[in-house]
Amino acid sequence: MKTSKYLVLALAAGAVALAGCSTATVNSVENTQKVGQPYYINDTRVVTDNSLAKSVALVAVNTITTPAGFLKVQVQVKNRTSSHKSFLYRFDWFDINGMQVKNIVSATIPDQIEGGETKFIAGVAPNPDCKDFRLNFIGAK
Amino acid sequence: MKAKILFPLLAAATPLLLTGCGTNAHYVKTGDKEQIISTSQINIQDYATAASLSVQKLLATSAIDKVANPPALIEISRIINNTSQQVDTDLLTKKISIALLQSGRAVTKTVDPLAASYQQQTSPAGTRVPDFTLSGKIIQTVDSAGDTKRTTYSFQLSLNDTRAGVQVWEDEEEIGKQGTRATVGF
Repeated sequence: MKTSKYLVLALAAGAVALAGCSTATVNSVENTQKVGQPYYINDTRVVTDNSLAKSVALVAVNTITTPAGFLKVQVQVKNRTSSHKSFLYRFDWFDINGMQVKNIVSATIPDQIEGGETKFIAGVAPNPDCKDFRLNFIGAK
Repeated sequence: MKAKILFPLLAAATPLLLTGCGTNAHYVKTGDKEQIISTSQINIQDYATAASLSVQKLLATSAIDKVANPPALIEISRIINNTSQQVDTDLLTKKISIALLQSGRAVTKTVDPLAASYQQQTSPAGTRVPDFTLSGKIIQTVDSAGDTKRTTYSFQLSLNDTRAGVQVWEDEEEIGKQGTRATVGF
């Protein structure tokens, strides 16, 4: 009797917990024959947070130089889980000598990604002398 | 016997609980994970986010390069505060001004009476008319459902061509925050 009572309570609690955790994932559609030709670059990745690397998984990095000579970087990320994820990101910029150039464009930006969603994160260098970059991701609650 | 075991455990746990209730003052960095997030006001990291995203879009556009005598001269104009709080708009405009100067593509100008008086003495022929003015508005929108409050701050910026009298670049960054109370940590 006591066991069945506990079982019912546990099932009810489980249902409530599952309902509270359920999140909507993202479906999408896009044109198959792409007109644009992105210039993808080789990248070096350092992963210290495996959980974050699944929620904000790096897909590709492409760059352009704007007409004024500023390096623009676009990073494609995908949430490989079914849960919404909040995170912070920050671009670090470096000049031709590898010296970091600190500026407001290197502010830490809060962002979110839905389960299954693919999104783009873009950054523009603070001046034309910046030739290299590093994008940092920090997990949030 | 039971009490004998429980008492030392409770005695040991109490200081831990008491120390866990507060944090000692320590230095923090704007935008770190410990930032305070409040729905009722613009936090310092919100200005940094809005300025950073807007400046990057401004640097990516070629609008400021179309001037006769580069680098462009931009006068920082008025930022209208349409929020319920007192806001020092320099927290936004100064960041943008610094980034523009460091980019090498523009020089900025603000209304400084002392600088203007010296300028009149050194070049009485006249001052350079700014190529652009940068103006904007901060708007607050509040929605609530029960105890949950959602506040969206819209940071709008316009770059106005002083000769043509038209906007050549505009941007809006929205920063939305939702919750029942302020929290520490992102």
